[in-house]
Amino acid sequence: MSGDSSTEALTRRTQNSSRELLAKGFFFGCAALSVATTLSIIGLLTFEAAKFFSITAPLVGIDGPTATLTEFFTGSEWGLQGPNLGVMPLVAVTLMVTIGSGLIAIPLGVATALYLSEYASERARSYLKPALEVLAGVPSIIYGIFAVAYITPALDALFGVDGLFNVASACIVVGIMILPMVASVSEDAMQAVPDDLRQAGYGMGATKYDVSTGVVVPAAASGIFSSFILALSRAIGETMAVTLAGGSLAREFDPTSLSSYLSLFDPESYLEPGMTMTAAMIQLLTGDVTGGGLAYRSLFAVGLVLFVITLGMNVLSDLIARRYQEDYQ
Amino acid sequence: MSDTDEFGRVSRRVGQLFRGVLLASTLAGILTLAVLLVYVANDAFRPLTADPGWHLTFLLTFVLPTLGVGWWSYQRSYGTLTTGLLGIMLPTIAALYAGGLAALFIDVIPTLVWLSFVVAFAIPVGVVVALDRTERDIPFLAEITAVLAVTAGSLLFVPDLVQGLPTVPADWMVLVLTIGIPEALLLGRWTRGRWGRRAGLTTGAGIVVGSAVAGVLGTVTGVGAIPGVALALFAGVPTALYLSVVAIERPERRAGLLLPAVIVGGALVGELFVGALGFAGPESWVDWGFLTSTVQRGADPGAVGIYSGIVGTILLMFTVAAIAIPAGVGAAVYLEEYAPDTTVTRIIDVNISNLAGVPSVVYGLLGLGLFVRYGGAQTGTLLVGGATLALLVFPIVIISAREAIRAVPDSARQASYGMGATRWQTVKNVVLPRAFPGILTGTILALSRAIGETAPLLVIGAAQVFGVPDSWNSTVGAMPLQLYVWASTYASPAFYTTVLAAGIVVLLTAMLSMNSIAIYVRNHYEQR
Repeated sequence: MSGDSSTEALTRRTQNSSRELLAKGFFFGCAALSVATTLSIIGLLTFEAAKFFSITAPLVGIDGPTATLTEFFTGSEWGLQGPNLGVMPLVAVTLMVTIGSGLIAIPLGVATALYLSEYASERARSYLKPALEVLAGVPSIIYGIFAVAYITPALDALFGVDGLFNVASACIVVGIMILPMVASVSEDAMQAVPDDLRQAGYGMGATKYDVSTGVVVPAAASGIFSSFILALSRAIGETMAVTLAGGSLAREFDPTSLSSYLSLFDPESYLEPGMTMTAAMIQLLTGDVTGGGLAYRSLFAVGLVLFVITLGMNVLSDLIARRYQEDYQ
Repeated sequence: MSDTDEFGRVSRRVGQLFRGVLLASTLAGILTLAVLLVYVANDAFRPLTADPGWHLTFLLTFVLPTLGVGWWSYQRSYGTLTTGLLGIMLPTIAALYAGGLAALFIDVIPTLVWLSFVVAFAIPVGVVVALDRTERDIPFLAEITAVLAVTAGSLLFVPDLVQGLPTVPADWMVLVLTIGIPEALLLGRWTRGRWGRRAGLTTGAGIVVGSAVAGVLGTVTGVGAIPGVALALFAGVPTALYLSVVAIERPERRAGLLLPAVIVGGALVGELFVGALGFAGPESWVDWGFLTSTVQRGADPGAVGIYSGIVGTILLMFTVAAIAIPAGVGAAVYLEEYAPDTTVTRIIDVNISNLAGVPSVVYGLLGLGLFVRYGGAQTGTLLVGGATLALLVFPIVIISAREAIRAVPDSARQASYGMGATRWQTVKNVVLPRAFPGILTGTILALSRAIGETAPLLVIGAAQVFGVPDSWNSTVGAMPLQLYVWASTYASPAFYTTVLAAGIVVLLTAMLSMNSIAIYVRNHYEQR
């Protein structure tokens, strides 16, 4: 067939390998760009944060205002005015938002997933799932405005809040934002539980309630748990809603004393303002960040802490989902 | 499942209670958001400030007829109702986008500059088409060198040449020439394929003449030539085409078009009565002044407007789309069609899913460091903002494009290879056309996420007071940035339930219109 004129016509262009190589090269370049993005995030954050710490600054050839590692990780105050560059007060408030939003999103999200997976009719699912997606689609700046304009007054009426900003309203809106993530990832895990297990449960005389709580949830536990971690990492990285709702006043937090950790679980402290890591980054931007001064460097130091925490949680969630996944083949 | 349901009925009370709790939890988040949105809508539109007579008039002329006709259409068939709903959604959304494009031509790109660049790009495109048509077998490298040379030369000399022309065509003429005629050719071809040669000619001629008339009418009536032509080309033409398709191809659904007619007619009649009877309408914060005012700061919520934010968002979206879509789709094609199953591929794979989980504020840091500190760009410019947001949506575009490409059946690829096609030919002629609707849906959703992002723009140093950008290097704002500025820096608490509510309505409308387009595309192609 190789001498056939029609075959030659069909494959005429295939011999032109430079065109093929160019196409392949372009596509590979696009894929490599994603790796380059990650590498530049890691490289840039590390390099710029290195200029911030007195121990690493000489390595990157920087002299100028720096902070020591002890100061950064054990300091009890945050503020660029004085020598107060402790990141833990910011981490503490971030932790409060994570705890508070988790208290809202985790029970509601798992219940939603269970309802959608086990109870809802096909028709109800087709309405509820897109409606849940809307919760995640509303921009976080809008949630921030909701928190200040509508939720804080409601909290004020219930518990009495001073001023416009408090951590509780941030927890509520972030909880609503991450709810769909818990629900959809958990629901996928529940859907993956084979029907045989349910049938076996029913065969033993179990009710639908027994099967849902006794069979489906334990069988999907790894997926449900990884959804929590994934959603909480979103809550940690959440920026605009917590910036608007929590205000930009850094709290004091002494990482060396036990009582300060207990205060994270004190409901009263949620009714006061607090600045998270992300909110602090936004606040730093009011300083001069282009010249590479201390504000710029601390921005990257906080950013590095944020990136390491969220990346670690994402990897952990992935590991749990893979490692502890029951294999139902 | 019916047998299992029987077994499930042993202890009803606990089960029913549990089911009730689950349903309540499912609805809790949705209802909370719904309540918040009602509050926002109330603060933004302030319906209670209108006369009771105003409400009564519109209830009688607008709400009741619409509900009645809607119910009647639904009774006829579900398809009739959707036809009617599409008949009102399409013109509304199209008019919104036409307004946005008109704003670009009025404030950002002078029509003459636009014309010069269209001509400069038309020349290399013409060369490519000519080379493609030619029978002779030109070596690929020679071909691509020629095309690149022509493009560079054309971009270098033609814009200045066109802008130096002694006679300057009117704004509307340029738009009819550069957008109307290509649109006429494209849609004319489409209708010719559907309804024959005469329909094609009529469509083409109708579009050109109609947009020219709209341009003249716009000038005469004071609406402006550019909005006139933009509305005709981007809203009028699609609407007319939709009506023709329904009228010609779906006679059983024609009755559905009564719904848009009643909605438009009811609104007009209501407006007429309200004007005649002297009823005052609501003092809405979302009004023409808010949409078109460029004033950004001040203590008076009534004076500020979101215009600069709207234009900035549109420009940012164009930039993001131009960068993120080719790169994201290209990466998806590589991973699905080319990538060997090696460690490198797996690393890229894991990397992309982790990138999607990186907080948006970190992307801002990337933009600040990469483009501003080391790239030497100015802070907060259109190009830096667009590139940063493009990096942010890049993994999302890849993930959704991969899903769309994976959905293309392998048999289609095998058929293509079986006919001797190369990998690139298969990608170009089989995979991408088949995956196109899915890719489109995914990218629109990704862009609609980028619309709402504020943190990256703040981090790259977007100015708190921004104008309408006029070049790649001028500072850009965006709607969410405007909301942040009002909510934080220059605001009194009085802003929260006034212009901020109005701004939320505008931003959500933009996102909702994009999402509804994406959902429509998906549903339309899923039915096939």
